[in-house]
Amino acid sequence: MFLVFYFWFFVFKMLLKFSKYPKIWLKTSSLSLQSQLASKGASLMYIAGKLIRFGFFLWLIVRVAQNVQRISGYHLNQLVIFFLVFNLFDMLGQILFRGIYWFRADVVSGRFDLVLLKPINVLFQVLTRHTDFLDLPLFTIVLFALLKQGIYLKPLDWLLFFIIGAASLLIITAVHIFVASIGVLTTEIDHTIMIYRDLSNMARVPVDIYAKPIRLFLTFAFPVAIVMTFPAKAVMGILTFPWISFSLAVAFLFFFFSLKLWQYALTQYSSASS
Amino acid sequence: MASGLKKYLQIFKATLESVFVYRLNFVMWRVRVVMRLLTIYFFWLAVFSNSSEILGYDRRLMFTYVLGASVLGNLVMASRSIDVGGEISTGELSNKLLKPLNYFRYWFSRDLADKLVNICCAIVELSLIYLILKPPVVLPSNLSQVFIFLASGILGMLIFFYLSFFISLTTFWYVEHNGWPARFLFTILTTFVAGLVFPLDIIPTKVFAFLKFLPTTYLLFFPMQVWLGRLSTSFIIQGFVLSIFWIFSLKLLAEFLWKKGLRVYEAHGR
Repeated sequence: MFLVFYFWFFVFKMLLKFSKYPKIWLKTSSLSLQSQLASKGASLMYIAGKLIRFGFFLWLIVRVAQNVQRISGYHLNQLVIFFLVFNLFDMLGQILFRGIYWFRADVVSGRFDLVLLKPINVLFQVLTRHTDFLDLPLFTIVLFALLKQGIYLKPLDWLLFFIIGAASLLIITAVHIFVASIGVLTTEIDHTIMIYRDLSNMARVPVDIYAKPIRLFLTFAFPVAIVMTFPAKAVMGILTFPWISFSLAVAFLFFFFSLKLWQYALTQYSSASS
Repeated sequence: MASGLKKYLQIFKATLESVFVYRLNFVMWRVRVVMRLLTIYFFWLAVFSNSSEILGYDRRLMFTYVLGASVLGNLVMASRSIDVGGEISTGELSNKLLKPLNYFRYWFSRDLADKLVNICCAIVELSLIYLILKPPVVLPSNLSQVFIFLASGILGMLIFFYLSFFISLTTFWYVEHNGWPARFLFTILTTFVAGLVFPLDIIPTKVFAFLKFLPTTYLLFFPMQVWLGRLSTSFIIQGFVLSIFWIFSLKLLAEFLWKKGLRVYEAHGR
C-alpha cells in the first residue's frame, strides 16, 4: 500500500516538475510570435521567399518528370510526395528549433552564461527558445497538398507513418543537439546547422537517385534518408518492416549519443564572460 | 593614383588573409559548396538515366550547364557586399565614412578577393569531381568562344556587384534584421532566375521572353549559353549590349540610392 502511494506521489512530483516546460514553451513561443508580428515587412519577405523557393522546386520536379517516364523508378506523383514530405519534416525542424541558429553567437558573446544560470533545463532552453511561425503558412500548404494527393492508406500504414515520423523527429532533435554541442566545443565552425540543411536538401528527391556511396552515407552515417525519404515511402506504403525497425534503432542511438555529446560539451565550456 | 590603388590592394590582401583565419570553417564552407554541386549533378544524372534528351538538352549539354553554372556561380555570385546591410543597421558604416575610402571601391576590392578564393577552390573541386565522376562535358570549339565566355562572366560579376549593393542599400530605410529579409528574398529569386539550378530556356517561352530583359539572366545563364555554343552572333551581341546597359543602370541606381541613404542614415547602435 505504501509503495503504491509512493509511486503515485513520485508520478505527481514528476508531473509538477515538468509541467512548467509546456508553460515555458508557450511563453517563449508567444514572445517569438509577437516579435515576428512586430516586424511585418520582414516576416512577409521571409514567407514570400519560402513560398517562392517551394514553388520553383516543385515546378522543376513537375516540369522534368512530365518529360521523362520515371526518375529512378519513381513517377511524377511519387516524386511530388517525396518533395512534400521532405518539406514537411524540414519545416518541422525549423519551426521547433529555430533558436539553434543563434546559439553559437550566444556562446561567443557570453550570453550562454545567463542560460546556464536559470532553473530550467539548458538544452530545452537552447533548442526551443525561438519558435518560427513564419514556416506555418507553407507548412499548412504542404500538409493540405499531401492530403489532396489522395493518399489512401490503411490504418496500419498510418500508424507506421506516425512511428517513422516520430523517429524522424527524434533524429532531427538529435542533429540540433549535435549542432549545439559543436557550438559549445568549438567556435571554429560557423553555421554548423547549415551543413545539416545542405545535407538534408539532398533528400528533396528520393535518396535512391544518388550513387551507392552517397546513398549509404545518407542512410547510415548521417541518416537524412530516414528523416525525409523513409516517411515518404511509409506514406506510399512501400516501406518494409526491417527498415522501420532500423529507423527506430538509429533514431534512439542518434538521440542517445547526441545527449552524451551535449553533456560532454558542457563540461568543456569556458565562458567568454558576460 | 598609385597610393589610391595601394590602399585597395591592402584591403584585397587583408580580405584574402581573413578567409583563412578559421581554417576548419573554411574547409566546411568548401564541403558545403561541393555538396550543393553534387546534389544538382546527381539529380540530373537520375533524370537522364532513361532519356537521351530532355527539354532541348542532351546529357553533355545539361551536365556542362549545371556544373559550369555552379562553378561560375561561385565566381559571379560570391560577394562580401552582403555585409553592407549589417554595417548600415549597426552603425559601423560611420567608421567607414570617416576613412579616406570610396565605399563602393572598398567593397569591390573585398569582393575580388573573395572571388579569387572561390575560383581557385572551384578549379580544384571541379577537377576532382571530373576525375572521379567523369561527367560528359562540352568544350568550346574555338578560343574566341572562351574569350567571349570570360568577358560575359566578368560582365555578370559587375551586374551582380551592383545588384547586390542595391539590395544592401535598402537597409538605409529598412534596418530590421540587418537588412537580411530583402537579402533572403533576393538570394532565393536570383538562385532560380539566374539559371543556377536549371537552364532558363526550359521555362515556358513567354516567361523566358520576359526574363531575357532582366539583369539576372546575364549572371549565369547567358555566359553558360556562350560556352555551350547555343547562341547566334546576333544574340551574343544583344546579350552584351543588355549586360552593359544593366551595369550602367544598376551603377547609377546604386549611387543614387547611396546618396539618398546617407541623408537618412542615423547610425543606430552608435
